[in-house]
Amino acid sequence: MGKPKVAFFKLSSCAGCQLSALNIEPILLDVLGVIDIRYFVMAKRENHGGPYDIGFVEGAVTSPRELEELKKIREECSVVVAMGTCACFGGIPSIKNFCGMTQKQIEAKVYTELWDIKSMPVYGIDYYIDVDYYLRGCPIDKNEYLILIKSLLKGINPLFRFHSVCNECILKENVCLLIHRKKACMGSVTASGCGALCTSLGRECEGCRGPASDCNAESLAEVFTKELGLSKADVARKFLKYAGNTPEFSKGVGHYEHY
Amino acid sequence: MEKYILPKSELAEYVNKLKKEYEIFGPVSKDNKYVFQSIEDPQDLRLEYDTTILPPKKYFHSPEQIMMEFSGIADSVQEKEPVGKRLLIGVHPCDVNAILSLDKVFLNTYSDPYYKELRENTIIIANNCTQPCKDGFCASFKTGPGIENGFDLALTDIGPKYVITVGSEKGKELAKGFDLADEKETALEKKTINDCLNNITRWIDDVDNIANFLHANFEHEVWMETKEECLACGACTTACPTCYCFAVKDMVELCLEKGQRTRVWDSCMFYEFSRVALDHVFMADRTSRIKQRIYHKLAYTKQQFDVLGCVGCGRCVGICLKNIDPVKIISRIREVPCVPQDPCIYNPQQKSVVDNHNPWLTEKAVIKAVKKITPDVNTYTFKFTSPNMKDYSFENGTYNMISIFGVGESPISISSSEEEKDTFDHTVRVVGNVTSALGKLHVGDIVGIRGPYGHGWPMEEMKGKNVLIIAGGIGLAPLRGVIKSIERNRDQYGRLEILYGSKIPESMLFTDEYGDWQKMPDTQLLLTVDCVGDNDDWKENIGVVTKLCDKITCSTENTIVLACGPDVMMKYVVAKMLKLGFKPNQVFVSLERRMGCGMKKCGNCHLGPVFVCQDGPVFRYSDIMNLPGGVF
Ligand SMILES: Cc1cc2nc3c(=O)[nH]c(=O)nc-3n(C[C@H](O)[C@H](O)[C@H](O)COP(=O)(O)OP(=O)(O)OC[C@H]3O[C@@H](n4cnc5c(N)ncnc54)[C@H](O)[C@@H]3O)c2cc1C
Ligand code: SF4
Ligand code: SF4
Ligand code: SF4
Ligand code: SF4
Ligand code: FES
Repeated sequence: MGKPKVAFFKLSSCAGCQLSALNIEPILLDVLGVIDIRYFVMAKRENHGGPYDIGFVEGAVTSPRELEELKKIREECSVVVAMGTCACFGGIPSIKNFCGMTQKQIEAKVYTELWDIKSMPVYGIDYYIDVDYYLRGCPIDKNEYLILIKSLLKGINPLFRFHSVCNECILKENVCLLIHRKKACMGSVTASGCGALCTSLGRECEGCRGPASDCNAESLAEVFTKELGLSKADVARKFLKYAGNTPEFSKGVGHYEHY
Repeated sequence: MEKYILPKSELAEYVNKLKKEYEIFGPVSKDNKYVFQSIEDPQDLRLEYDTTILPPKKYFHSPEQIMMEFSGIADSVQEKEPVGKRLLIGVHPCDVNAILSLDKVFLNTYSDPYYKELRENTIIIANNCTQPCKDGFCASFKTGPGIENGFDLALTDIGPKYVITVGSEKGKELAKGFDLADEKETALEKKTINDCLNNITRWIDDVDNIANFLHANFEHEVWMETKEECLACGACTTACPTCYCFAVKDMVELCLEKGQRTRVWDSCMFYEFSRVALDHVFMADRTSRIKQRIYHKLAYTKQQFDVLGCVGCGRCVGICLKNIDPVKIISRIREVPCVPQDPCIYNPQQKSVVDNHNPWLTEKAVIKAVKKITPDVNTYTFKFTSPNMKDYSFENGTYNMISIFGVGESPISISSSEEEKDTFDHTVRVVGNVTSALGKLHVGDIVGIRGPYGHGWPMEEMKGKNVLIIAGGIGLAPLRGVIKSIERNRDQYGRLEILYGSKIPESMLFTDEYGDWQKMPDTQLLLTVDCVGDNDDWKENIGVVTKLCDKITCSTENTIVLACGPDVMMKYVVAKMLKLGFKPNQVFVSLERRMGCGMKKCGNCHLGPVFVCQDGPVFRYSDIMNLPGGVF
């Protein structure tokens, strides 16, 4: 492949992942030297239409308009990358799926002018289109982003492995926050790749990278309730925060109905 | 052993003196727990520590070890960061014993230069335990609380002073200038360690027979219970001082040409540990991974390396959010054990390979010919570029590790016969990264190859006997050499029957060679496909390969059966052979597993106690049929 044509798109999201894709100083210029960014509204004044070789999609789909946009993206891009947890699993916007209200009620709760609002339950983009690669995290991990770019340039699959955050945490020899500080850490069921960023700073893992491979959310939920004394509602909220749409994390929620 | 005295008040001074010559590592406190760290100020040392988060293993088997620097797809040089002289102080007996365990894995055969260099440049000052730690059960294995060997010096805290035991010549040097311990002091030392031993409450009883015991309890309900609990987080193996498994990966720079081949700690608790191409995972079920860990620690390692797999340090227990505990698991089984069985413990044939060069380095091999076999399979003919490789030889059925630096390394069987000396063939199906990269190469391109590895087909034993070959799909590749060898020495073998099945007619391998095979006297070739698609010319059989078995004419005596194909196929083939009356010791199978090293080091290829990479890939079925959990 010559210099691949790359586009960055934004659906419902905070733009933090796009920012991370830019915030790769010392090597930003080197990256710009190997890819041709044709479309990146946040970063460039001049943007060009498709087709593109690689499309990075940030954000979840929350409206019919975004769904149309997404379908067009799939048509225009040979490779589609879900960039960030919103695009992968629905992310923070997806918590509305679990609040027990109808779509209309939710709209009324958030907006005053309702005549032009059409929203949908929130899912990651692979609910609607085929996705080739996933960059998890809220926001994405820069190193993983670079590995993916290099792999795409080489034409290989990066074969990311989603081990637990605990593994990275212990490699850093952190004292376990759950066992020794009784904090409700999601690290054991959450996919690594962040370098145990939060737990290394003394903050429990929030589960932002979604489920680790073959994780056992039910078993962790039991630790939260039995050993840490969390209410079932609190446990449910923990598993619904970023990736409640995934079958793995919904097992952690159990049969709890009202959040 | 000589014993000396070091007053505690003089420890700092002594450490400072050692610092002039060595980089010192020892236990320091971190948030009320302990870790091994580089020691700047001897006051930071906490020799009274109970256990550390990671074991000192990290100083020998690095969590992330750069193995080589590469540029282009075939050029690499060994990464050589000089290792300075190092000294570990305060290593507990369990951890010293764990290092002795790792020595067997890394130094016994295919001696690992990275481990070796770190190991040889490191002095160990052990630290006998005077109080049991919370989770440890070292006494079960006699790996604590006192140390017997494996150290240069050993300290025992007897109040105001340490008794120092000399354990090596180097240690003798380091103890120069100390006063000899008197009888009272050595008696007190003995008593301190003995008291500690008597206070240990956690035990696994009867460890000498634990392998038999565990084998009999492979289907015990405790494993399903543990599966429900276990989070598959891998913390237990990462913290274990004897776990050696690792994954090899290539990291490239943005220029895509240069990069590093690195190995990082891996764990059998991870889902991806046993993943191979096309997302097939051999240990997908958490129960099988839990069993792999516990059995490996308590039984398999002993079978593999004649060394302890668990030293009872207790780290896996303390670090587990669910408190999954080998001691509790064993006592839980002992409460209600399964019916004892005839012990049938697998003991692999040892094939010791000792040579002095770095076994990770590849030799350059140039592609002499490429032949398209099917739309996604090519046969490559290779020749090593270096004259040093002119003596390269291999057995039919063994394999090489083929490297495309920057993409990865894959085990690929040699598909030419062992008599052909100048060049060798590999027949490769495109399924993923390495195989696709290979698929793009042309005559004249150069790749990196190391090998051959493992045990091949029993060519000697086959002489004078009938040979029955059963293959499926790409599984014919490692058998092509056998057929060619028989063709070459036709009179040395009895009847030859080849049963080969593939998905569709278009995916059959080596079709242009069938004519020659069929021309051989006393030879039968039977072909079958799963479905024909729109191929109207297909005149042979349709259906799975086991269907062909009814057409076998070889007698059940005096015949050797060779089988290679996907696991599902082999399962049925082996069952069918046994049903037809062939004995398990007449049947040979070639197995596939994930392989990261080929040298009994990375653990990726584990099949229970077996390393498929070295004990196989070709096995006599009777050797492995009684493995706990079976083969297929
Ligand atoms: C003893 C043995 C002999 C083999 N002989 C042949 C042969 O003659 N012809 C042939 O086409 N294939 C053979 N295979 C299978 C071949 O090794 C895999 O197809 C190949 O490794 C896939 O690598 P990849 O990079 O293309 O796939 P990816 O899915 O991209 O895999 C990436 C990495 O995973 C590892 N890996 C993946 N699959 C396997 C696997 N099946 N076995 C071991 N490691 C794996 C490798 O390290 C590889 O680099 C053999 C496997 C074994 C174990
Ligand atoms: S702090 Fe969290 S991520 Fe770290 S080991 Fe404990 S549970 Fe795992
Ligand atoms: S530390 Fe515990 S929960 Fe995690 S993989 Fe090991 S046994 Fe399972
Ligand atoms: S299995 Fe557990 S107790 Fe045994 S050596 Fe490993 S970490 Fe220590
Ligand atoms: S296979 Fe054995 S050595 Fe490897 S990670 Fe598992 S328990 Fe540890
Ligand atoms: S141990 Fe590494 S491949 Fe077998």
